[in-house]
Amino acid sequence: MHLAKLIRPLRNSLVPMLLAMAALATPSDAPAEWRQITPGLTLEFPRDHGAHRDTQTEWWYLTGQLESADGRRFGFQFTIFRRGLAAGPINDDSSPLRARQVLAGHFALTDVASGRTHFVERLRRMGSPLASAADDDLDLTVENWSLRRSEEDRLELRASDLAAGIGLQLDLVPTKPLVLHGKDGYSAKGSQPGNASAYSSWTRLASSGTIRIGNETLAVNGEAWFDHEFGTSVLEPGVVGWDWFGLQLADGSDLMLFVLRREDGIAPKTAAGTLVTADGKVQALAGEDFSVEAKSTWLSPQSGASYPASWSISVPSADLAFEVVPVVADCELRSAGSTDVVYWEGPVELRELSTRSGEQAPSQSTRLGRGYAELTGYAGTMQGRF
Amino acid sequence: MTVLGVAIGVAAVVSTLLASRAAVASMTGDVASIAGAARLEVTRPGGIAMADIELLRPVCDEALLVPIIEGTALVPEMGELVRILGVDLLVDSQARSIELSAPDLQAARDELLFGNGAAMASSLAGQLSLQPGDDLELVVRSRKTSLEVVATFEPERFGSAWERVLLVDVAVAQELLARTGRIDRIELVPRGAAATQDELQALAARTAAQLPEGYRVAPSSARRDEGTRMVRALEFNLTALAGVSVLVGIVLVATTLATSIVQRRAQIALLRSLGASRAQLTGAVLIEAATIGLVGGVVGVLLGWVGASAAVGSVSTTVSTIAEGVIPGRINMDLRWALLGIALGLLAAMLAAILPLREALRTPPLQGLRSEHAESVTRRSFRSRLFALALLLGAAIVFVNLPPLEDRPIWAMMAVLCLLGTLLVLSGPLIDLFSGIRPSFAQTGVGVPLRLAQAALEAGRTRAAWAAAAVGVAVALAVSMTTMVGSFRQSVVDWTNQAMPSDLFLRPLAADSGGLAGRIDPEVVKIAREQIGSENVDPFYQSKAYFRNSPILLAGAAFAVVAREGGVPFLDGRPSTVAFGAALESGEVVVNEPFAQRFDVERGDLLELETPGGSIHRRVGGIYRDYSGHTGRVVLDLADFFSFYPDEGPQSVSIFVDKDVASARSALAGALAGRFEVELLDNREVRAEVLTVFERTFGVTIALQLISSVVAAIAVVAVLTALIHERRRELAVVRVLGGSRRQLFGLVLGEALLLGLAGATGGLIIGLSAGYVLVAVVNLQSFGWTLQFLMPTSLWGTLLSVIPACLLAGIFPAFLALRATPRESLHASS
Repeated sequence: MHLAKLIRPLRNSLVPMLLAMAALATPSDAPAEWRQITPGLTLEFPRDHGAHRDTQTEWWYLTGQLESADGRRFGFQFTIFRRGLAAGPINDDSSPLRARQVLAGHFALTDVASGRTHFVERLRRMGSPLASAADDDLDLTVENWSLRRSEEDRLELRASDLAAGIGLQLDLVPTKPLVLHGKDGYSAKGSQPGNASAYSSWTRLASSGTIRIGNETLAVNGEAWFDHEFGTSVLEPGVVGWDWFGLQLADGSDLMLFVLRREDGIAPKTAAGTLVTADGKVQALAGEDFSVEAKSTWLSPQSGASYPASWSISVPSADLAFEVVPVVADCELRSAGSTDVVYWEGPVELRELSTRSGEQAPSQSTRLGRGYAELTGYAGTMQGRF
Repeated sequence: MTVLGVAIGVAAVVSTLLASRAAVASMTGDVASIAGAARLEVTRPGGIAMADIELLRPVCDEALLVPIIEGTALVPEMGELVRILGVDLLVDSQARSIELSAPDLQAARDELLFGNGAAMASSLAGQLSLQPGDDLELVVRSRKTSLEVVATFEPERFGSAWERVLLVDVAVAQELLARTGRIDRIELVPRGAAATQDELQALAARTAAQLPEGYRVAPSSARRDEGTRMVRALEFNLTALAGVSVLVGIVLVATTLATSIVQRRAQIALLRSLGASRAQLTGAVLIEAATIGLVGGVVGVLLGWVGASAAVGSVSTTVSTIAEGVIPGRINMDLRWALLGIALGLLAAMLAAILPLREALRTPPLQGLRSEHAESVTRRSFRSRLFALALLLGAAIVFVNLPPLEDRPIWAMMAVLCLLGTLLVLSGPLIDLFSGIRPSFAQTGVGVPLRLAQAALEAGRTRAAWAAAAVGVAVALAVSMTTMVGSFRQSVVDWTNQAMPSDLFLRPLAADSGGLAGRIDPEVVKIAREQIGSENVDPFYQSKAYFRNSPILLAGAAFAVVAREGGVPFLDGRPSTVAFGAALESGEVVVNEPFAQRFDVERGDLLELETPGGSIHRRVGGIYRDYSGHTGRVVLDLADFFSFYPDEGPQSVSIFVDKDVASARSALAGALAGRFEVELLDNREVRAEVLTVFERTFGVTIALQLISSVVAAIAVVAVLTALIHERRRELAVVRVLGGSRRQLFGLVLGEALLLGLAGATGGLIIGLSAGYVLVAVVNLQSFGWTLQFLMPTSLWGTLLSVIPACLLAGIFPAFLALRATPRESLHASS
């Protein structure tokens, strides 16, 4: 067994994340020691943009689509995950390097023209000078990657990997107020009250900066989506993964939807969403308020997993109905060096629902919006990891 | 016996090489195998401050940063040291591919990360009868502690550095070694495809640009090279000394072959008359030489293997005086060394065959049949001998004055070879000298056999000269080594008496091999100060620094205490109290002699030293004698030292007690008992200990000294036996002419005595000269030590023992001579 394999169970337990907020109860740490997110949550900002070390799992997620001056399109995902491995503070005489909490970073850049997705990852223990997460504001670093909030909620993102030939420097300015999902940020992920996360988002950020891809450095502009979630919970029995959408509609409204998938279908209480209108009004959606229907599949040549490749989504109460299609088919991310999870995360487009006869091909239809989709649990269950 | 001579020579070389290689390998820690995929390393004397690691963030773009903490611990159960290797278990799999196995990986990783878990080689676990879950008792930094063995691994190859490694998480290592806040080095593993040399250099430059002064970025192999460089002189010296025993072997083989060829002159002449070509004769001689060489080589390799195991402790001790934390390696006899040993045996025998071969080829068919006179080699003219002597001595003088080559005193060793070479030239005239002496008792009863022996030697002058040369080389070797070790020992004794005036001496526990288990916990110093008083406690700290880009030791000592109590002697003759007092007052440093020698530094010079605090400038207040190691050392006052280095605990503590030493000792021992594992020695014990370490360090040299004496004795026996065998007829004639058995015995013993005298005289003169070169030139060039040149008291003993040894060696051939009946001998040789 390689060291890597020794670390695997470690990774398995530190792997968080992604969307659903159910914590893995590893034999080594009693879940009771971690704070659970319960109803009646009160969030205060900017303090709650920072890390919540008393919870076991947390992530800060940025996704978005960018365009260069000459029209080249890119999708990006940048995530910092925090995972608590052992609860409680370290002893006074212990080394600050005791790995009680770790930070992992995922950075993916999708080049629409070439149809390729580049992915790199990082993993460091907190306490090391190479990984830090401020407790009182959004200020994260993992090695040479960083995400910081400055005054007026401007975000600054820096990520780069010379060997993979990708880099990103972005300044992001929210164009809408911060959104608290669920009830005041309490986002239920299961039937039990503790199976929940604190979930907040900037659903639309004007983004500008540079992209480095290969030997090229390009000035880019576009729109991004920011998520921050934390909590201590587990996936309930039978849940194998989830589908998540963060969609920015052409009319200025934004839509977040997630669906926790069970082996036997969709559980009624484990799907929810949020609709944010162009003027910033927020409407929480329950599972019965929308429908997500997979229309086709894509088979990963690497993992052999079969992912949904297009969906019909409708929110009848808001009179929304459209088709969601991936911009690039292969956006599968395989994170062997940090979280050890295989998932699909990539840019999508919103199109008018195609007619039954298919007279209007998606590529020619009117673009109704853009966004990002995340699909987990298709290459092995997420059960036992969250 | 000739075979044995070759075998001993080869064994000496093989065992020395194997032992020093094992020590070197362990010192450099098998850097390559431990470094894994790391290509560059960031280091700083005294360790890397955690806060500075942040400066390396930009480098993460192209390289994975892997922090490492390394230290040593003593395993009391084995009495041996192990290496504690602290790695970042979260990222290390990208740098090293160590396969771990554990019954419960989840529990193992919990213990590794959150508890005190360690992984170790399954062979080490087996040796200690440990199962996963068991506790391993350790002494680290003089504290008793334990780690839980949670997983094992299989080292990639047998005998690798990994067999003595306790793998722990970097946080555990920080706590265990009390290095919280620092790490020892950061390895850089380039991301992506394998980086080219140019890319690595560029990465190194970019990395260095991020860091403040005092940091070094170098290829991982540089540490190995540094270690190898440090022991290069030592290894060369040991190998060269061992090589001299091969030289004795060569002389021995040459003597035997020459004798055997001369013995068979009639046979050779007959063969030549019967049409045997020169080529056939050459073949025959060479086959004989090759057989001796081959058998000697094989036996030598086997003996060498055994000898290496005995020598490794000694060599490791020597190496540990150079570098901290040496863990004796295993002796690895691979095919390479075995082949080298056999080839050495063959080569020696072939070289030895050259002169005898000339002798055989010169044997003309007819002349050989006509004459039974054994002596045929033309005497070299006096002038040509004088010329050869002048040439060899001239070369020796030139060589002695040449500087060392890359720290190796190669030229000085060449000078020693030249001096030994003069014995070949001198032995003939010496035989003449001793054959020509007519003592007053020459006409008496005792004088007759002696006179006959003189005549016999004169007649068989060439062979006698060979034998005398063999004895001479062996004696010279013994004398030179005795001189060197004796001079060294006396210098060390004098130095110890002066340098170690303290009443009590505290140090970490030592492994069986002599290596010390790290440092002493700072708490021990605190307790000692409370008990005895700060003004009486002189802790000695030591860390690494750089001077002119070379690694040196930077030490801290309480100058105020030494200025009052005295200590190491100074080259300029000033009392150490004065020298330290002056240095303390003016903020100067003192340096040891190896430092001054190596960097050509004098008192008053301004040094620029690279420390963790950046470059510092200090003036040299004095140069002290230091035989405790050959690494350059700069000593600062403690207060100065601690402004650059963290208190990781001292290497040793000297304690001065006003009156009752015994009760102070027991009180201090009582205060430390139970919590700390240290050795508390009184002054007498310390001095005895220094000499024990000295003896162990020079164990190899002393063994070589013995070997050369044994080879000398073998040379005498072999040559005399051959001479007697050759002169059966003459001896028979002596008997027939009325010579008594006693007279015959006396005759043979007389020959042995004369040979011994000739060899010993030459050997003594050359041995003393070679000894002087070893003491005054080789030691200075290799280690930077000036030693007093002392004729050891045992010198005369050595010389006097050669004569009885030669007489003793003559007994067997004498009996051989007596056993042969005159009739048979006359018949056989007619």
